[in-house]
Amino acid sequence: MSGQATAEKEWKFADIIAVPAIRDRWEKVRRYFFLRESTYDMTNRCNIRCDGCYFFNGEKQFATENLDESAWRHLMEAEKDRGITFAVLAGAEPSLVPQLCQICAENIPLGAIATNGLKAIPRTIDYRIHISVWGNDATSKAVRKADDMLGRQMANYRNDPRAIFVYTFTPHNIAEARDVVKMLADNGQQATFNMFSAPVGYTGPLRHTPQTLTETREMMTELLTAYPQSVLFSPYNIVAHTHELGLHALFSCSYPRMNSSTAIGLGRSFRQYRTDLQWDREAACCVPDTDCADCRHYAAGSAVVTARMYRHATNPDTFSAWLDYVDTYLAVWVRGYEKGPNLGDYPVAPPMDSPKTPPLSL
Amino acid sequence: MPMTNDIDQTIHRIAAIIINELKLEDVTPETFNADLDLVDEVGIDSMDLATIALVIRDEFGIRIDEDDYPKLTTIRIIGEYVAEKQRGGE
Repeated sequence: MSGQATAEKEWKFADIIAVPAIRDRWEKVRRYFFLRESTYDMTNRCNIRCDGCYFFNGEKQFATENLDESAWRHLMEAEKDRGITFAVLAGAEPSLVPQLCQICAENIPLGAIATNGLKAIPRTIDYRIHISVWGNDATSKAVRKADDMLGRQMANYRNDPRAIFVYTFTPHNIAEARDVVKMLADNGQQATFNMFSAPVGYTGPLRHTPQTLTETREMMTELLTAYPQSVLFSPYNIVAHTHELGLHALFSCSYPRMNSSTAIGLGRSFRQYRTDLQWDREAACCVPDTDCADCRHYAAGSAVVTARMYRHATNPDTFSAWLDYVDTYLAVWVRGYEKGPNLGDYPVAPPMDSPKTPPLSL
Repeated sequence: MPMTNDIDQTIHRIAAIIINELKLEDVTPETFNADLDLVDEVGIDSMDLATIALVIRDEFGIRIDEDDYPKLTTIRIIGEYVAEKQRGGE
C-alpha cells in the first residue's frame, strides 16, 4: 500500500477493514481481545544479579516472600473470578519456584514467564517462556556475572515451542545483536526485541541516547529483514520502541501507575502483585520502578500500543502497522498463536490522539 | 419532541451496533436497556469499546476522543454524547 495515497483520504473504518488482507488480520487478532493481564512477582530471589535489573530497584524487592501454595491457589482463583485471563510471572526469577508457577498455570491457562533461562521450567507449565538476553557471552559475563549464558539458555530450551529469546538493546550491545540473533536463528529459536528502559533515578551507562536509538533502529531493521522467520517484530514495533519519545509520550500509558481512571481497560483490571501477594495501585504497571519518561519496554508496548487502536484507524497503512504490532505482541506472548507476515514493510509515524495534531515524525 | 425522537433513534442504532459487534444474543435494539452499565453489566472492555467507537465514527460522522471512553458507560450516555458532538459541542 502506498503511504502517501492512503494517508490523504479520510477513511471510514469499514473501508479500511474492507481491504482483504487487513480484514483477515483484523478478524485474527480481535479474537484475542478477551485477554486481560495481571503480573505477579513470584520470588525475591534470583540466581544471577544483572546491572540495571528492574526487580532490584524500588520497594518491591523487600516484600516478604510468600511460598504458601494454598495462598497462591486462592489468589489465582480470585484473579480468575475477577476476569483475569492472562498471567505474567516475573521477578525476580520464577524458575526458582516452579511449584508456584504450576499453580498459576493450572488456574489461568494463558500466560508468560520472564526468566533468565539458566534453570529449565518444567514442560507441564505451558506458558510462553521469555528468556532474557543482554548481549553476547562476554557482555553477559560483564553485566550479568554469568558464564556461557546463551549456550546454557539454548540447551535448556532446545526444541521447546514455549521459548522466545528477548534481546534487550542497551547502548553497548547493539552491534553484537547481529551474532546473537544469527546463533539463535541457526539453532531454530525465536527472538524478539526489548529496549533497556532506565529505572527511576538510574544514573548508569545503559540509558539510551538519540544516537543509540537510531543505531538500534537500524540494527533491528537489519535483523528483521535477515531473519523474518525467527525474529518476531515488525517495522512498526521498531518505530514505537526506538522513537526519541518514550511509549508514554507517544501513546499515553494506560497502566494504573499512569492512568487514574478505574472505569475500563487496564486502569480497571490490571494489578501487579509483589511476592507478598499485595499490590499497590500507585506502582502498578508491567515494569514497576521504570522511569516512565524512558520506558520503551516491550511488555509495556504490548499493552499500551495495542490499547490505542482507535487513533490508528485513520487509513490502511497506519491500521496495518497497528495490526502488525498486535500480531507480533500476540505471537510473542500467547502460546500457539502464529504470527503472520507483516502487512507493512516500511516505518509508519505514530499517530497522535487528536486529528488536529499532525502525526509525529519518525 | 423531534429532539427526543432523534435521541431515541440514535440510542436504538447504537444498541444495534453493540449487539452486532459483540455478537450479543437474546437481546434486540428494542429490548436493550439503555441504562445498563456496559462494563459492569454487559461486560465490555476497552478494546470492545474502541471497536464500537470506530463503527459509531463511521455511522454518525463524529470523533470520539480516547479520553472520553471512561465516561461512556451506558448506551444512553453514548447516545447523548453522539448528539452533542453532532450539534458541534466539545
